[in-house]
Amino acid sequence: MLRLSITTAAALVLAAPAFAAEFKWAETTDPQTMDPHAVNSAAVLGFLNNVYEGLVRRNKDMVIEPALATSWEPIGDGEGWRFTLRQGVTFHDGAEFNADDVIFSYERASSEQADTSSWFAPVSGVNKVDDYTVDIMTIAPNPIFPDSIANWMMMDSGWAEANSATRPDKDQGNYATINTNGTGAFKVTAREPGLRTVLEPHSGWWGEVEHNLTRAELTPIQNPATAVAALLSGDVDFINPVPIQDAARLASSSDVKVIQGIEARVIMLGFPHQAETLKYGADEGKPNPFLDVRVREAVAKAINVPAILQTIMRGNAEEASQLVSPAMRGYSEANAARPAFDVEGAKALLADAGYADGFSFGLKCPNDRYLNDEAVCQAVVGMLAQIGVNAELDAMPVRNYWPELREDNFDMYLLGWSPGTFDAEHPIRFLATTPNAEKKLGSWNFGDYSNARIDEMLPAIQSELDDAKRQAMLDEAAKILQDEHAYVPLYVQPLVWGAKANVELTQRPDNFFILRWVTVN
Amino acid sequence: MLAFVIRRVFQSLLVLLVVGLVAFSMFRFVGDPIDNMLGQERTQEDVERLRTQLGLDQPFPIQYLKFLEGAAQGNFGVSYRQGRPVSEILVERAPATLELAAVSGFLAISIGIGLGVFTAIRRDGFVANFIMSTSLIGVSLPTFLIGILLIYLFSVELGWLPSFGRGETVKIGWWSTGFLTSSGLQALILPSITLGLYQMTLIMRLVRSEMLEVLRQDYIRFARARGLKERAVNFRHALKNTLVPVITVTGLQLGAIIAFAIITESVFQWPGVGLLFINAIQFVDIPVMAAYLMLISVMFVGINLIVDLLYFAIDPRLRADRGGAH
Repeated sequence: MLRLSITTAAALVLAAPAFAAEFKWAETTDPQTMDPHAVNSAAVLGFLNNVYEGLVRRNKDMVIEPALATSWEPIGDGEGWRFTLRQGVTFHDGAEFNADDVIFSYERASSEQADTSSWFAPVSGVNKVDDYTVDIMTIAPNPIFPDSIANWMMMDSGWAEANSATRPDKDQGNYATINTNGTGAFKVTAREPGLRTVLEPHSGWWGEVEHNLTRAELTPIQNPATAVAALLSGDVDFINPVPIQDAARLASSSDVKVIQGIEARVIMLGFPHQAETLKYGADEGKPNPFLDVRVREAVAKAINVPAILQTIMRGNAEEASQLVSPAMRGYSEANAARPAFDVEGAKALLADAGYADGFSFGLKCPNDRYLNDEAVCQAVVGMLAQIGVNAELDAMPVRNYWPELREDNFDMYLLGWSPGTFDAEHPIRFLATTPNAEKKLGSWNFGDYSNARIDEMLPAIQSELDDAKRQAMLDEAAKILQDEHAYVPLYVQPLVWGAKANVELTQRPDNFFILRWVTVN
Repeated sequence: MLAFVIRRVFQSLLVLLVVGLVAFSMFRFVGDPIDNMLGQERTQEDVERLRTQLGLDQPFPIQYLKFLEGAAQGNFGVSYRQGRPVSEILVERAPATLELAAVSGFLAISIGIGLGVFTAIRRDGFVANFIMSTSLIGVSLPTFLIGILLIYLFSVELGWLPSFGRGETVKIGWWSTGFLTSSGLQALILPSITLGLYQMTLIMRLVRSEMLEVLRQDYIRFARARGLKERAVNFRHALKNTLVPVITVTGLQLGAIIAFAIITESVFQWPGVGLLFINAIQFVDIPVMAAYLMLISVMFVGINLIVDLLYFAIDPRLRADRGGAH
């Protein structure tokens, strides 16, 4: 098979410059399911973006563009959105795509069993206007709704019903856990969970083909050294991620190249905003110094972010000033400056707050969640020591980390946040709004940060249709969070991919690997 | 004999129950599976619902009893990560590990015994000394380092062998084998050397010292004195008696090969049960972890049982002792 296609490829190379090619790639994690509504994780959505499609999709610059809908417009005064569907689209099994599939996919993806249901919290209903027009009604005006459903993938109602997969099943799994039937540029032809997943181009795809692949195979490789070796030896054409410490060495090889970019994820420090006392370290039981904004500002000033970027990230990341990176919609240009590294200023602030002699506390940190997370925390410990603040570092695997944070077992913690909507509203909703289980707000606001103005602005930000007014509110929110040092944003996490020198691809900040932009020369 | 076997089987079952209990009670320290199963935008309601659905809200003894009840019927539940029955996944992954272990075991035994005998007979020769000192490397270097070194040498630098995976496999019924394709055989070489190296050196050193011990015995001297050929003395008389303790150790080492396969499998991305287990830990996939640990303990207990029975067969003195005791 391989030999055959090499011969074909060799024959084609004489005829055309862009010849067809087989492509193998490796990622650290295997997508845990093939069901587009069962698990809302980057590994699953990123992979399935090659197989399934939404009404809209993101282009190479993360901007929303038409996919299964050719156009959309707000209905009336923000009652909802009307989507005009693309005609002549077929699923991989040949069935035709129409409004019924959109309605079915809405019911499926917003059902209780679906992990994607939160995307549809602002939706009051979906109406079919005709076979190729759908109205999605929202509870309140929702300017970013089209942006928020870029990963809402369309399934064929007939296929799902025929295979008893009308609802996702996270616990037991169903036919859609292993099998797919999308409208995307590639179809899954073999799926062996944890071993390999094979894709082949969908011959009836509606879009313009940019890639030259005849077959693509994904193998998960967990061990970073093995993945690097597989790339160097030519067993795979692409790996994600490249361990940062290997990036320079890989880049120096002539056979492979390293593709570096900035991810959507901002790494930050969080504080307990309501705890009365410290819980760890020598000062356990003493009043919580982080309640004082001057102490939080001192922390922000004491951390030498450029040094962290240079040494630990080896020049692969950018400083962060707010909860979103500059690539996100709603980023606040007005608040783009991060507090400068200033040890003396930090000490003065501490003295001002009554901690001239510093204090001790516990820093919680994951050690397998973000790039070099534990090393970053160690650096933070060292930098805080320079202003007399002694942090006791407690690093642990992420599966133990979230339960600890949820139970408020921290004096300070490290958090990374990547907004699923690529909009600045997302971190405000999850990280900065006063936690409220009933309204499903602030669910990742472990430090219970609370600010009345932010709470008041969130619904307005969510429903403001005028871009300028909306941005003004986002600017205000960013300024409040910055002035109060609610979090101390450190840097935007880098993306480091490795590919063979003859592979052309596009790296998106959401770390999705889009096969239809891959060409092998 | 029968009473002995029954008693041993009973003991084995007890061991399994205890292992299961210890393993199962450890899972609560491995972390919370719920976070991995739900996305960033989950709500507290989702968390509670899934927890109830998976039975994780129930007290530990009930969870364990449910697990035992299922396990006794061969039902290990559904993998949290893959959403498929664990028994199905284990059956899929077992051939990869068993084939790797079989090749490693074969390499370890054949080369180990061969080199052991050689270094015992030529105990002062240059080659024997060289083998003995290089074998120290095999014992002292950690498995993952040996694996990575082999990958860099034979895959990256020389480009002779694949750096990861199992190559192409052929299905015979439910069993997938890599023995029948050239890429499958090539893919076996590096991991099986990595996995078998420690056992090989161990067997070699054991055979050597046992053999040296035996060669000192009177009956060997008498055999020599009778004018028997060197070959006959070494192999027919000496080696045979050397092998009794070697069988014990080898039996246990075979179990160790399958258990230690975890490291080799993760270095070579070898799709066996060891790699499955590593992934399960990262994901807090409790049903898979529990099933794997039970499987490994069943295997160890089984091997111990077989080794005991083999003693019976090989060493007549044991049989006599047992007989006398009853």
